[in-house]
Amino acid sequence: MSTALAGAAPLAVEVAGLRLKNPLIAASGTFGYGVEYEGILDLSLLGGVVSKGLYLEARDGCGVPRIVETPAGLLNAIGLQGVGVRAYVRDVLPRLLPFDTAVIVNVCGDTVEEYAEVTRILEDAPRVDAVEINISCPNVKKGGMAFGGDPRLTAEVVGAVRRVTHRPVIPKLSPNVADIALFARVCAEAGADALSCINTVLGLAVDVERRRPRLAFGTGGLSGPAIRPIAVRMAWQAARAVKIPVIGIGGIASAEDALEFMIVGCPAVQVGTANFVDPGVYERILAGFAAYVARHGLGHLSEVVGSLQMPGAGGPEATPESGG
Amino acid sequence: MARNRDVPLVGKEPLEGAYLLLTFRHPEVAREGRAGQFVMIKAGTSPEPLLRRPFSIMDVDARRETFTLFLKTVGPGSRALADLRPGETAACLGPLGRPFTAPSPGVEPLLVAGGYGIAPFHLFSLELVARGVRPRLFYGGRGAGDLQVRSPFATMGVPVALSTDDGTLGHHGRVTEPLEAYIDASPNAARCALYACGPEAMLHAVARVGERRGLRAQVSLDPWMGCGIGTCLGCVVPIQGAEESRPRFRCACTEGPVFDARDVVWRGEGVSLARRARQAEVGA
Repeated sequence: MSTALAGAAPLAVEVAGLRLKNPLIAASGTFGYGVEYEGILDLSLLGGVVSKGLYLEARDGCGVPRIVETPAGLLNAIGLQGVGVRAYVRDVLPRLLPFDTAVIVNVCGDTVEEYAEVTRILEDAPRVDAVEINISCPNVKKGGMAFGGDPRLTAEVVGAVRRVTHRPVIPKLSPNVADIALFARVCAEAGADALSCINTVLGLAVDVERRRPRLAFGTGGLSGPAIRPIAVRMAWQAARAVKIPVIGIGGIASAEDALEFMIVGCPAVQVGTANFVDPGVYERILAGFAAYVARHGLGHLSEVVGSLQMPGAGGPEATPESGG
Repeated sequence: MARNRDVPLVGKEPLEGAYLLLTFRHPEVAREGRAGQFVMIKAGTSPEPLLRRPFSIMDVDARRETFTLFLKTVGPGSRALADLRPGETAACLGPLGRPFTAPSPGVEPLLVAGGYGIAPFHLFSLELVARGVRPRLFYGGRGAGDLQVRSPFATMGVPVALSTDDGTLGHHGRVTEPLEAYIDASPNAARCALYACGPEAMLHAVARVGERRGLRAQVSLDPWMGCGIGTCLGCVVPIQGAEESRPRFRCACTEGPVFDARDVVWRGEGVSLARRARQAEVGA
């Protein structure tokens, strides 16, 4: 499980062997490869950055329109457009060298073998601190959610990646399942070091004049504040189900939002859609953390992790799973 | 270099109908902003609407460290901007994107604006006039009420040909009709360059005008934009250079919004004008 780093700043955490200067990580698909923010945001402010999803080869992604705004949310079907893992290692990683932040690479595949091969290529690359396994993208025809929605395939992918890397392995779970605790346990048993919870929620927006989907792909993945209560609930369920740390994701745009995930058991969180809204979001959250630590007289922010006081016996039936 | 700032509103000038001009203080945009570039801006922190909106830079004042936007109030995002009072701030990232490229010496710039698309041509005209180049503006809209920014061009000495779909002002018809008439009557027809900003159908029509007459055209595309810096990949447009066997998606925010009209794969065409021309050469 995660531990506060002794003697470090009151925000530093260790998650699955990853030492993070603070619990804030930029989420995959919302931060490019990190280098896009050069000059706009100091990447060294962040605990870590997760790359856009990478396959073996470059991909074009979905047709347009690819994004549409919905109430307090963003529905997207980008389809994992990307440069491919070799171009990432060659062109992007060297540019991340100057920054004091953890680099986590989001690994994709159409097949179990491709996930493993992408991970193997990263194994020889310097500057990669962990791999996040994308088994939850809703916007591709193969791979993605097709793996993350099937416990057997989930175990296969996580196991295959586990076998080819010594770095921390972090499957990113899909919310589009009935029982996320089951998938959390499957990942832990297959050798995962931590979990990212959650990816986008499968959605559909309709243009009523044309009677067609508003996205070219049809369905899309919903993100932003609209999904936060769903994400907090699922991160909570996952955190109760396994001993490995759960990184909370879903609609975080403020310190309070991040603290919701931390209190339900997440030692670290990822900021996603808020990156599009405001590149200054990290400074705001860090300031909010400092104020919270002071207000509550905490020695370290991580003291809140898992401190949720859920109504117990006699209260509302609020515990869908028994956990593990 | 783009900077993210909370920018105070320092000026607000209502125009007719739903239009107004908003001026904010942002030193980097004021100093470095070029015609065709844009800012991502949002008033307030409400999650409704969630994202910032792209706005073309209409004017800059380096001395006062301000820039001006042309706003049409159409939804909650633009309404929140329009409701700002002087001194209140908006969150603003800019300047972003690639600007228009000035024409070669001796080439006459013909600017084609559709309604709201007038904004970058105000700044572009200022830039050109400062270099001793006099552009000519073709300014179209649905009706007279859509042609709100006219007097600054008169002040700059830029000739303007107005047109409206409903005939309430200027030529009754499409903006490309007076454009073509001017080119065809000009003794200098081969020494013109086209610049267009407006609805996609108008941009496509200007691209065709350019193709038929062998004139270069730069178009400013306006797809839905999420982040403005190339990370969301939501604003991609299909672009195909002459040497590219298939179109590739490029971010309008970082590789545009201004593109060479010949490289754009226009709706329903499947191939860019540049590629088609190259294929014709090879086939000939």
